[in-house]
Amino acid sequence: MEIPSEVLRIAEDIKTMRIRGAGRIARASAYALKLAAQQYKGCKNTKEFIKYMNSVAEILGSTRPTAVSLHNSLRFILSRIEKEESFAQIVEKAISAADEFMDSSINAEQRIGELGSNLLEDGDTVLTHCNSSAALSVIKTAYKKGNKLEVYATETRPKFQGLISYQDLKNAGVPVTLIPDSAVRFFMREVDKVVVGADTVTANGAVVNKVGTSLIALAAHEARVRFYVAAETYKFSPATVLGELVNIEERPPEEILSNESFEYVRARNPAFDITPSEYIDAIITEKGVIPPKAAIMILMEEYGASLKEEIIRITLDMEDSTYPLAQI
Amino acid sequence: MKNWQEVLNLIEKFHIYSSTEVTFTALDALSQIFHESSSFSEAFKNAEEFLKRLFSLRPTSVMTLNVMSSLLSGLENLARNFTSLKDVVDELDTRISFLTKEISSKTSTVAALGARRVREGDKLLTCSYSRTVKAMFSKLKEEGKDVHVYVTESRPGGEGVALAKELGKMSFPVELIVDSAVRFYMKDINIVVVGAEAIAANGAVVNKVGTSLIALAAHEARVRTFVLASTHKFSPETVFGELVRLPVIKDTGLLPGLERYSDLNVAVPLFDVTPPRHIDAIVTDKGVVAPEAVILLVKELYGWPPASIEPLSIIRKLAQVSARGDSQ
Repeated sequence: MEIPSEVLRIAEDIKTMRIRGAGRIARASAYALKLAAQQYKGCKNTKEFIKYMNSVAEILGSTRPTAVSLHNSLRFILSRIEKEESFAQIVEKAISAADEFMDSSINAEQRIGELGSNLLEDGDTVLTHCNSSAALSVIKTAYKKGNKLEVYATETRPKFQGLISYQDLKNAGVPVTLIPDSAVRFFMREVDKVVVGADTVTANGAVVNKVGTSLIALAAHEARVRFYVAAETYKFSPATVLGELVNIEERPPEEILSNESFEYVRARNPAFDITPSEYIDAIITEKGVIPPKAAIMILMEEYGASLKEEIIRITLDMEDSTYPLAQI
Repeated sequence: MKNWQEVLNLIEKFHIYSSTEVTFTALDALSQIFHESSSFSEAFKNAEEFLKRLFSLRPTSVMTLNVMSSLLSGLENLARNFTSLKDVVDELDTRISFLTKEISSKTSTVAALGARRVREGDKLLTCSYSRTVKAMFSKLKEEGKDVHVYVTESRPGGEGVALAKELGKMSFPVELIVDSAVRFYMKDINIVVVGAEAIAANGAVVNKVGTSLIALAAHEARVRTFVLASTHKFSPETVFGELVRLPVIKDTGLLPGLERYSDLNVAVPLFDVTPPRHIDAIVTDKGVVAPEAVILLVKELYGWPPASIEPLSIIRKLAQVSARGDSQ
């Protein structure tokens, strides 16, 4: 099966991180699938085409095995071509699904800003952590609408992504103060709302985000401060519906400690932590503001068909196993 | 030996962090002021200036305040009998060496009692740099209790790195983590042990900023939190509703890695307050007590109601009395 060279080049760029960022890799892989559909040269039958598209998706997916957004982009398109009967329709559907994904991804951030801005009020003091363009979109949109806001941005050790947020907000004219991560509870009594982004949203509404997020959520919960997560729907993880755990990446200890220190001390450097849904007041998606426990609703709407099939496959595997249910 | 201006500089830059160490160094510096002065008025002028700046740099260090008060009020009763500056210097040195021994002995008692609450194999978490906590680890080493310890960087200042290295040198397995990762690791921790800057009459603990977040995360995970604090750290003033003033710094000097961004709008608190409900016990030289029972110890130590202490007013009185010495 011949795979267009342009598609392979995109896969390579994602792998070498020439293309990076959750949104960008998701859109690039959608674009690659669109090209693959347009340049398909195999037999004109639907079965062959689906097989071809799946193998292209496999190549793209293997470039970043743990990136939820990329896998969701592929899943989004593949799940929409499964039911098409005629060949002409199926190619058309693949192309339009890819376009739909790219458009919605680009619009998502803006839409999240629009919807989320309604949650902020004039005079609010907002706290944010790390650097999430979706979360900042909420704050900046609310500010542009004329709400007087003040923002606390955490420095976000060890990589200081808080500085990027600080600069971005400052450029937008929003009054912003940088604080150490350890000072979150100290300032929480002045804060009205917390807005953060997400790396992954799980089936039960827990949010995987930059380490420290769950500590902030806990402090907000204690102080009865509202805690919002801004997340595009392609950050919701369908794999977690099937019981898979989210892998928490541990980054190099050199980000925390200088090399000469390792003689006596080790450093542990988890990149993310998990905020339980009970500390989250709402998740702001481009489809609407939802309670975190309704994450499954988004997942079913987006990936319902393919999830159903995978559950059937898992069930069949179980029935074929050495211990058929009837004997248990 | 460093002169008093250098000592103030070290305290300001957080090179001397532990409040016990601040107290020791301040006692030395005060003695040096008297040794190097050629007249009563010079000695008391410098001493007053030194104490004024010391208390404004570390308004939270109740131990320094209490120890200085006890030192100076003892001197006040003898002031009329002094005929030469040499008399004062001798008396001062005797008293300082007595107080230094008293502080060391109380620290040892606290460390030994604290070590009894730790079991073989425990995983401890601590923050900042407390001499008392370090002494407890020495005791654990001496007893041959093997424990694993997690230490937070403890920004601003980042003095947790120094503690981590020293505990590593004592051959404990040590993991350094960023302040944000406290909740991520709390599920692995058995005991949180921290020192204290000051203990208020209601049992609230003033300590390095971030302590209250750690205690909150421990409380959520049902992990016990112990505070090691000699009775020198009790603040009788708070019985009268006086608040412990918490300094907030507005520059990046104490944020390693960000020092060069001098124009950032930052707010850097140095201390925070942990409410008594998040503390399981305070380990004092009078025994292990519930935070709410601290008031009983205050009563025992300072009488009821406790007399107000004002080292600066004492030193001004001393200066007046001794001014006559110069004119003689």
